[in-house]
Amino acid sequence: MAEASQLFKEFKIQSVSEFFRRNAAMLGYTGKIRSLTTVVHEAVTNSLDACEEAGILPYVRVEIEELGKEHYKVIIEDNGPGIPEKYITHVFGKMLAGTKAHRNIQSRGQQGIGISGAVMFAQITSGKATRVITSTGNDEIIEAWVKIDVDKNEGKIVKKEKHPNPKGWRGTRIELEVKNVRYVRSKQGVYWYLKLTAIANPHAHIELIEPDGKLIVFPRSSEEVPKPPTEMKPHPRGVLTDDVYRMARKTRRSTVRRFLVGEFSRISDKKVDELVEYIAALRLIKTEKDKKVQEQLYERLAKGEVKAVLRSFRGYTKVVKQVAKLMEKPPEKLTWQEAEEIVEAFKYMKFLAPPTHGLRPIGEENIEKGLKGILKPEFVTAVTRPPKVYSGGIPFQVEVGLAYGGEIPSGFELLRYANRVPLLFDAGSCVTTLAARSIDWKRYKVDDLDRAPLVLMINVISVHVPYTGTGKQSIANVEEIQNEIRLAIMDAARKLQTYLSGKHRRLYQVKRRKTFEKYVPEIAKALSVLTGEPEEKIREYFISYIESHFAAKEAQEVSENA
Amino acid sequence: MPKSKAVKREKPRERFSYDPNKVLSKLEEYGRRVLEDIKQGRNPYFDIPMRGLGNVYFDERRRVIRMGDKLSRRYFLNVAHARKFMQTLLIMAYVKRLVSENKHASLREAYYANKHTIPGTKENTFEDQRESDPIIEDLERMMGVLREEMHLTADRRGYIYGDIVIRDGEDEFNTSKLGMGGWAVPGTVEHLQFVEVNVDYALVVETAAMADRLIEEKFPRKENALIIATQGQASRGVRRLIHRLHYEEGLPIIVFTDGDPYGWYIYSTIKQGSINLAYLSDKLATPEAKFVGMTMDDIERYGLKNVTEKLKGIPPNKKGGPTGDYKRILEEMEYPWFQNKEWQRQLKMALKMGVRIEQQALANKSLEFVAKKYLPEKINNGELLP
Repeated sequence: MAEASQLFKEFKIQSVSEFFRRNAAMLGYTGKIRSLTTVVHEAVTNSLDACEEAGILPYVRVEIEELGKEHYKVIIEDNGPGIPEKYITHVFGKMLAGTKAHRNIQSRGQQGIGISGAVMFAQITSGKATRVITSTGNDEIIEAWVKIDVDKNEGKIVKKEKHPNPKGWRGTRIELEVKNVRYVRSKQGVYWYLKLTAIANPHAHIELIEPDGKLIVFPRSSEEVPKPPTEMKPHPRGVLTDDVYRMARKTRRSTVRRFLVGEFSRISDKKVDELVEYIAALRLIKTEKDKKVQEQLYERLAKGEVKAVLRSFRGYTKVVKQVAKLMEKPPEKLTWQEAEEIVEAFKYMKFLAPPTHGLRPIGEENIEKGLKGILKPEFVTAVTRPPKVYSGGIPFQVEVGLAYGGEIPSGFELLRYANRVPLLFDAGSCVTTLAARSIDWKRYKVDDLDRAPLVLMINVISVHVPYTGTGKQSIANVEEIQNEIRLAIMDAARKLQTYLSGKHRRLYQVKRRKTFEKYVPEIAKALSVLTGEPEEKIREYFISYIESHFAAKEAQEVSENA
Repeated sequence: MPKSKAVKREKPRERFSYDPNKVLSKLEEYGRRVLEDIKQGRNPYFDIPMRGLGNVYFDERRRVIRMGDKLSRRYFLNVAHARKFMQTLLIMAYVKRLVSENKHASLREAYYANKHTIPGTKENTFEDQRESDPIIEDLERMMGVLREEMHLTADRRGYIYGDIVIRDGEDEFNTSKLGMGGWAVPGTVEHLQFVEVNVDYALVVETAAMADRLIEEKFPRKENALIIATQGQASRGVRRLIHRLHYEEGLPIIVFTDGDPYGWYIYSTIKQGSINLAYLSDKLATPEAKFVGMTMDDIERYGLKNVTEKLKGIPPNKKGGPTGDYKRILEEMEYPWFQNKEWQRQLKMALKMGVRIEQQALANKSLEFVAKKYLPEKINNGELLP
């Protein structure tokens, strides 16, 4: 039997990498193709986020170099703000320590594992350190080889060099050597991922050099850097007991009341008074022995009859006063029990919908630019729906883009995004797929969806996207979200319908016009025989008559559509 | 000297009226109107009287089938009309050339002359004669001008024999001096002039065989009659000739057909006109025409029972009836112009007896019977049906 200290030591050494291996799927490192895409995704996402926060129009270049069988070097370079020397280990080395975890904010990345996960993946597959070359645009360029010290869960610079920066280059270039992955131009591969990313980020210029040396450019189609998202205070309907309990611990407010009003959205002093009544009512209802009566009381409470519920108990004012006292104590003294009571009461209360300034849609104009720039369709339209709430308090927003014809090959294509991040897997179970398929496309002049040259893009934005499972590649079928997606698609499809019917009408008009025009020479000849007027003149009369007729018709149509 | 008592030549009521300039000026007028419309930025059109049963009625006073006043407007700027509009003008221009050059063309020639591929398309101006013929009919109705006046002719059918002198262009001839075959009636009879008419009446004969028989028996000379063989349903040329002989020369018209629904129908079109050509009734129909035979009464009177034939089809009182001849007879009984005692009686008798009788059945008596006895007896005694 080994000694306990020995066991413990070994256990500790393996902890992070063990966790990582075991949860590789959760982080996106599963399958040879997907793992490579995930590496690229983490790096590109970092680049885009960094550029946005710095207000820089992103230029991202991805290069995949084949070093051997299932062995690649992945190079990602951007023109972002660069990383100051002392943060390099922090950015690339620490897991679960990003800036975004625990912030109520819409973000591309999730737990702050992102790029350090990629570094770790490179390390455990190839054993190589990640090479980072970065400069903030000052006079030096830093070249560092980063590894992760799994013991300490820390980045470690294996080797570092400094170079002069005469041209003032700014940005970050990272090189990861990975094994056990494969580059394929499939719908789950890097190419497709970057294409989808380019569509959703029209302000980014993205390039890809494939292993065979082929350069693919997804050019920028918008010059406008999206504003970085802002943090939002949590909405009372969206919090758990644990959130309230922990927030109360951390706050610097002096009373529970101040804490609630100050740290949550949509809670005012008046709402706190209301909350006191609800908590009191809930406490009293719990004292009721008769289950049936209790049921009824809960129901009435849900209907907002809190005062009537209170009055049905004798001496209710005493309880109210007790609860009111709770609001005046320091928040760090709030017990778990009390936090639970608050959250329960929240469920019965009515609040204004949560603020949505933290949501950051791509925007109709930019979706159109993105689709147009990358897909080169003949028609494009986009719809950004106003923000809505699901599960009572989690704000979300849906936007869709529709591109039709042009260079789009026939066959329906659904591009799914969550917070602008392309979703490449598990399409079948995704709410976006279900919503898109539930539309009666025939109503919108799309007779055969599976043969139409149609691309539908759906972006679901939320501070908390309800993914199915740990892969984060499929959005759960939440009724409110599905409805919003459906409404957005139908809205966009209506615009497509208008376009298509206009196109049919124009084609029809051209055909009609031709019908008349082709007879003109015959008619002119005959009329010339009958009347003696020159054929040429008669022809002119007829042509100009046809022209003015169709011009009038067009003008009429324009005014009808206006 | 006329021999007959009952049938006498009357005074002419119409004068020879063919005038090519009338056709030309009408064509020009229509052409100019279209041109004027298009210059003014209006959608040019033709108003064409509608064809078909819906636009046909029986004129009680003049006792002819006539066309109603329902018009269909054919526009240039209408996807459904444009092609026909073009075709109408094409034929009009063609007619103008024909008439002004004094040439005649058959319907088939008119079709081929105007058929060509429209430049820049794979479409022909006319795909089929079935497209050009109706346009010509449209023009007749639209302008009130006969096809023959437009120098468009159908295949000739029918011939005449008798002591009349006709001028046809540069030729002048007596139709009883052209041999036993007589003179074939041309598609167009408008330009004919009747120089001399030395007959008392015209006998219109359904079958060529019967007409030949009468000529061989010298019936025209003996009875001072003109024989007109229709050879089945009378062609437009023949009907127009009958009309002209009656109205311009005052010749009584007597029709001699088989005693069957088809024969009676031939009589009906000569007399009242047809639904198809209702718009021409004023020029083609001869309401004063009378019917000599065959009648149902003839069967008994001349003992022809054994030379009758059974009517085709199923009688009205039998299951599945009436069909065939029976049905035709019942239809004819409904015709306004058969609404008289004599005809209703004949038609009822036919239904009852279930037989028909051909003109040639008279040969059963003897070859000379029809010429020597049957016709002279009936005509001179005025035993004619209205």
